[in-house]
Amino acid sequence: MIEVHRVSKVFSVGPVKVPALREVSFRVSKGEFVVLSGASGAGKTTLLRLLYRDDLPSEGDIEVLGHDLVPMRRSQVAPLRRSIGVVFQDAKLLPIRTVYENVAFVLRVLGAPRREITARVFDALRVVGLSSRAQAYPAQLSQGEAQRAALARAIVRRPPLLLADEPTGNLDDAMAAEIIDVLKDIGAGGTTIVLATHQARLARALHRRMITLDGGRVVKDEG
Amino acid sequence: MAISAIVLITLSLAALGGFWLVSSNLGRAVAQWRDRVRIVVYLKREPPAPEAVLGRVRAIPGVSGVTYIAKADALRALKQVLGKDASVVDQLPANPLPASLEVTPSAAAATPEGARDLLGRLAALPEADEVAGSADWIERLSQWQRLLTTIGLGVGAVLSVAAILTVTTATTLILHARRHETEIMRLVGAPESTIRLPLLLQGMMQGLAGAVLALIALMIGYSLVAPRLEPLVSLTLGIPDLMFFTPVGILTLLGAGTLLGGLGGWLARAGREP
Repeated sequence: MIEVHRVSKVFSVGPVKVPALREVSFRVSKGEFVVLSGASGAGKTTLLRLLYRDDLPSEGDIEVLGHDLVPMRRSQVAPLRRSIGVVFQDAKLLPIRTVYENVAFVLRVLGAPRREITARVFDALRVVGLSSRAQAYPAQLSQGEAQRAALARAIVRRPPLLLADEPTGNLDDAMAAEIIDVLKDIGAGGTTIVLATHQARLARALHRRMITLDGGRVVKDEG
Repeated sequence: MAISAIVLITLSLAALGGFWLVSSNLGRAVAQWRDRVRIVVYLKREPPAPEAVLGRVRAIPGVSGVTYIAKADALRALKQVLGKDASVVDQLPANPLPASLEVTPSAAAATPEGARDLLGRLAALPEADEVAGSADWIERLSQWQRLLTTIGLGVGAVLSVAAILTVTTATTLILHARRHETEIMRLVGAPESTIRLPLLLQGMMQGLAGAVLALIALMIGYSLVAPRLEPLVSLTLGIPDLMFFTPVGILTLLGAGTLLGGLGGWLARAGREP
């Protein structure tokens, strides 16, 4: 499903080279739920960005869903992304659209048939427990609800891989637990999940495989 | 921003279209006058067999047609021109007018260089006494036409670049306002065409609106200026009226506006995948 081989990423800030990832290697099998943990600045977000081909590594190889990402042409990025759901710490909901419209937007831009959209949107909202808030605007949602709406948007295409970058970063413990439960449910359905979090307690509580990053290196891979 | 883009497209196409109109009308005058170019070869004496001379002249490159005018025909023509004073001619002891050949150059020879060459070849005829006629002034008119076309294209090009840049900036601002939407679209794997097509269409609509406004401005300008200029143009250039754009010209102008706007929309910086 995912194979990361000796990946390094160096950012250039003027003449200064800042290493974000150093020789990172790991594999994630189909259906696995992997927690990527580490303090802020450990390289979790950089790694996730490389996995959905938002950036390229300075060195190393990455294979995701059978696609070799490094030599991938720009025109092949969009088809890859259709198989990956991504959620962020900031829900990134469109403020002038309702929850339903935010989730349906994804299917619309991908050209899904109209009759399919309603059923799939409500299915995704049901999975995240947000069916009753379909007509609410993002400003009317709690942070937990907004994050669940973002999760619904990420899974509405039923992607085989879900990348979650600090989805509980802005939430209190109760709301974070809700999101984690939703992620577990999604994972139970067979979706491969990579969850990045700096919340060590939350990561341990999940009892899943945990890859720990520190200073851009994998320092622990356990579970 | 969108309004300034439309205004700039209107200005650039109005300038381009204005010069195009003047140039095409001058072009009509030039074409008409080129058809009327005649070279007259005055003969030393009346040839005993004019057909033989005519045959040799017809064989000269650059000659489209030739007419023989005998001394008597020339005198008759002069009398017609003199009208009621024609009796003056009768008092002459002899017909002083020479026989001549009226040569119509082919289109290729109705230029200064072509006419000069033809004049040289006609002057070399053993029967020729003097050769008159040239296409210099027509070529000067033609040069004016070319100059106007060049100026029009230059002004139009500068304004077109400004219009493209304005549409590009306007579209970039729209993109900035919609950056979250675009970001989500890219994230979920929307095809680049789905992201950019609305921007392209928006640019094209701005361009088309600019072209329609330019066309309206040119039509108003034409309807105000043409009736006042036509008598003068008819007298000086010999064309009876001033022409507006043909349907093809109108479509070209509308197409150019749409293309300008579309180009501006397409060039907008929407961010790129690495």
